[in-house]
Amino acid sequence: MVAPGQDGLLSQMRRGTLQYCVLALLAGEERYAFDLVRSLSDVDGMVTSEGTIYPLLSRLRRDGLVESFWRESAEGPPRRYYHLTDRGRAALTGFVHEWGRFRDAVDHFMEGEA
Amino acid sequence: MTTVDQLVEDYLDQLEQELRDVPRARRRELVGEIAQHIAEGNAESEAEVRTLLDRLGEPAEIADEARERFAVPQRPRAGGWLEIAALILLLPGSLIPIVGWLTGAVLLWMSNVWSWRDKLIGTLIVPGGLSTVLFLGLTGTEVGGGICTGDGACAPDPATSGHVLRTVAFILVLIGPFVSTAYLAWRLKQARA
Repeated sequence: MVAPGQDGLLSQMRRGTLQYCVLALLAGEERYAFDLVRSLSDVDGMVTSEGTIYPLLSRLRRDGLVESFWRESAEGPPRRYYHLTDRGRAALTGFVHEWGRFRDAVDHFMEGEA
Repeated sequence: MTTVDQLVEDYLDQLEQELRDVPRARRRELVGEIAQHIAEGNAESEAEVRTLLDRLGEPAEIADEARERFAVPQRPRAGGWLEIAALILLLPGSLIPIVGWLTGAVLLWMSNVWSWRDKLIGTLIVPGGLSTVLFLGLTGTEVGGGICTGDGACAPDPATSGHVLRTVAFILVLIGPFVSTAYLAWRLKQARA
């Protein structure tokens, strides 16, 4: 059950963490946009509207955390692929560290509440 | 055009409309990417296309996200005094020579409700507004008759056809400010709907 006010909280938490999920998906391999979007939305609770990921991708490109390039596709028009830049990798590493600390801290207080 | 094509086209049109206050290059890029996403979805039946568009989300929601990520001010939902003042100054206010229309034009460009194209239309049709029309009316297009000889007979002026053209041009200039202001008012109403 979602208590009053938690709907907004969830979307704030998603907003803050979604970009790192994108970076994490790109850490292993380069992916094209559609594939990236579907990978994110297939996990329950992360993305409610797939279309909202595109403005984020554009933002990440502009901030230099990812780079995109076009590659021919056997099935149709060329696809825009994304890969992580050094800056993106550094941002991801920093987040992984902070996220671990944050998660442990919250869990510490939530113990016994679940 | 099939129902499926129509669904996609309506969706993209709506998205484009919702993104009107996002800078043109970014709007183009985003609409292009969403269009490609739809193409890659390989949806063929109407039901499949509807599911694909549902998963993408409401165009308004995507546009809100875009404004937030691109740091474009969120569109004002209420108020709109700036826009009303702009419309008043651009039409009746433009009877005050220069200052009236100029202030209206500044307000027009300050607003984030109208698109760049709307603003261009509002500015170019007609610079100076009604003052320009009056000025042209008083100086440029005197309604000429013909050449009259001493005995009272008048021959048509060889330049009459030029006059006709000028009169037509003048009428077009005269209705211009009314048409462009009505267009801006319509776009404003659309944006607030």
